[in-house]
Amino acid sequence: MAALGAWRLLRPGRRWFSETVPGAPSPPGSPLYPPVVASITAKSKAGKLRRQQRFIERVHAAATVEEKLRLYGKLQRPKYMVYPQTFALNADRWYRSFTRTVLVPGMPPRAAAAKPPAAAAGATPEACRAPEPGAEAPAAAEAPAAAKTPEPAAGEAPYVDIGELRSLACDALLQESFYQKKKRPFLYRDQDHTPGPFLTQLVSTLAASLSGRNPLLAASSLDLNPEVNYYWHHGEEVVVHGHRKGRVDPVRFQIDDNPHLQIRVPKQLPEVVPLESDLGDVPVIDHKPSKLPLFKKQYENKVFIGSKVADPCCYGHTQFHLLPDKLKRERFIRERLEDQIEVVYRSNGIASLFAWTAAQAMYQGFWSEADVTRPFVSQAVVTDGKYFAFFCYQLNTLALSAETIKNNPRKNICWGTDSKPLYDVVEDGHVKGFNDEVLLQLVRFLLNRPKEL
Amino acid sequence: YPLFQRGGPQLRIFRPNFFMLAVRPGVPQPEDTVQFRVSMEMTKVDIRNYLERIYNVPVAAVRTRIQYGANNKRNHRNQRVKKPDYKVAYVQLGQGQTFQFPNLFPEKEQDAETRPFDDFRDKYMEKEKQKQEGDPRRGGVPDWFGL
Repeated sequence: MAALGAWRLLRPGRRWFSETVPGAPSPPGSPLYPPVVASITAKSKAGKLRRQQRFIERVHAAATVEEKLRLYGKLQRPKYMVYPQTFALNADRWYRSFTRTVLVPGMPPRAAAAKPPAAAAGATPEACRAPEPGAEAPAAAEAPAAAKTPEPAAGEAPYVDIGELRSLACDALLQESFYQKKKRPFLYRDQDHTPGPFLTQLVSTLAASLSGRNPLLAASSLDLNPEVNYYWHHGEEVVVHGHRKGRVDPVRFQIDDNPHLQIRVPKQLPEVVPLESDLGDVPVIDHKPSKLPLFKKQYENKVFIGSKVADPCCYGHTQFHLLPDKLKRERFIRERLEDQIEVVYRSNGIASLFAWTAAQAMYQGFWSEADVTRPFVSQAVVTDGKYFAFFCYQLNTLALSAETIKNNPRKNICWGTDSKPLYDVVEDGHVKGFNDEVLLQLVRFLLNRPKEL
Repeated sequence: YPLFQRGGPQLRIFRPNFFMLAVRPGVPQPEDTVQFRVSMEMTKVDIRNYLERIYNVPVAAVRTRIQYGANNKRNHRNQRVKKPDYKVAYVQLGQGQTFQFPNLFPEKEQDAETRPFDDFRDKYMEKEKQKQEGDPRRGGVPDWFGL
């Protein structure tokens, strides 16, 4: 009897225990249930991954660059403050590992093939038309000029008058150090007294006189004592103390830099080498950054190039850094740390340029999850008033956080020179031992421009 | 120390009463960094001069901190017992020198006599332990428990 009753229940057509509208087929191909994904609020690794994915999508979907930057730096946690001008020993090696930079000594080779020196005189009208900046003519003319001692060949006079520029530089130097009557500098304020104003004067006069040759300079913007900030993640560590003890956190860094002068331009400088090129190795340091010594603080995560996002001059051209009194050459020589002199220049160049180029890339909408599609190039000159060191930086990758760096073969590249003196000594209204090469390199830097111009 | 004023004599210490103890770092340090426990009265300048003049060690940089000794332990009279404070100095060596704290207790290699003796001793201890434990089929229940 029970079996008969059960059989009657199971007869088809008697679906009284479930409500289905007969004759309404489910849409073909779509699943009946929502997708099974990890919970957003649960305290689990899958939940954490899902929250991170939601954050990444939120940043990708942000409408404006300002909104992206606001979301990127929204969460404040203790982070390492990276100072470009630091007294820490071997800081440039540590900074290269933080920023995944390869250091190539010397300046990058110019793009176009070197013209034969004999043709330099006749080639000047072509050089004017050629897209390659004035580096060609001085570089090609320097080879015969080096062979014969007199001043640079007359063939390049109509293009770049080195004598005129030299006189401009000497005028600025003498004005600041000899003609102008200044009181004694205050304690530890030597750099603000003479080399600072000299650098400002030199750069502004050179930029003004060369803007005729380089239309990019004519449209550029010269900042005095600007601020450059960048915030990024690199690597992972376990939190040691506090209520978050034991959790795995990304290592956060922030650079807050104040270059002495900065030139920003509306067009990007051309790339020096292709995006995926590999010119060397990045040093790998297993120790925690606090052993450098580097210290942690929690404050605003700022990304800034010197002007806000809406400014048309959003790409960088050249930065000029002045080394402070604490990092004078004489101090290093007195403490028998001669090898650290160059380290100071290199660490300043690498850190400042990385922060500037990365901030420029963020202003264009790229970030660590959306890596750059074209390289960002900028230049810098680090000086202490007398010695000049030149740096050129190419940013190939922004993806430095722990997840994105795993499959990232790209490295950032920095070309840098050693520091060379611009002059030997200033005596009695004359500049002794003026070095033309340094001035020429400076001029080349200022004349650098994209190929279309 | 007597406070230095301009024009006064330079403080010179002959035969200092300080001593510096080189210790193994608790956390891994870079290769050029040596960790010392020094007297609380020593300054960075003192440490640098001490190493350079007495031991001819080139010093590039010195950083110091004071480690507070905890005051939480209690003795049999419920009085708090303080562990002493000490100053730790991290010295970075100059001229590219490196230092690795040596292993003070290396494994002694065993010769022909001690190895069989050690094996015999281990086997004997194992047998003793087996006797103590009792029948494994009883599942840890003592043998006085039963009918």
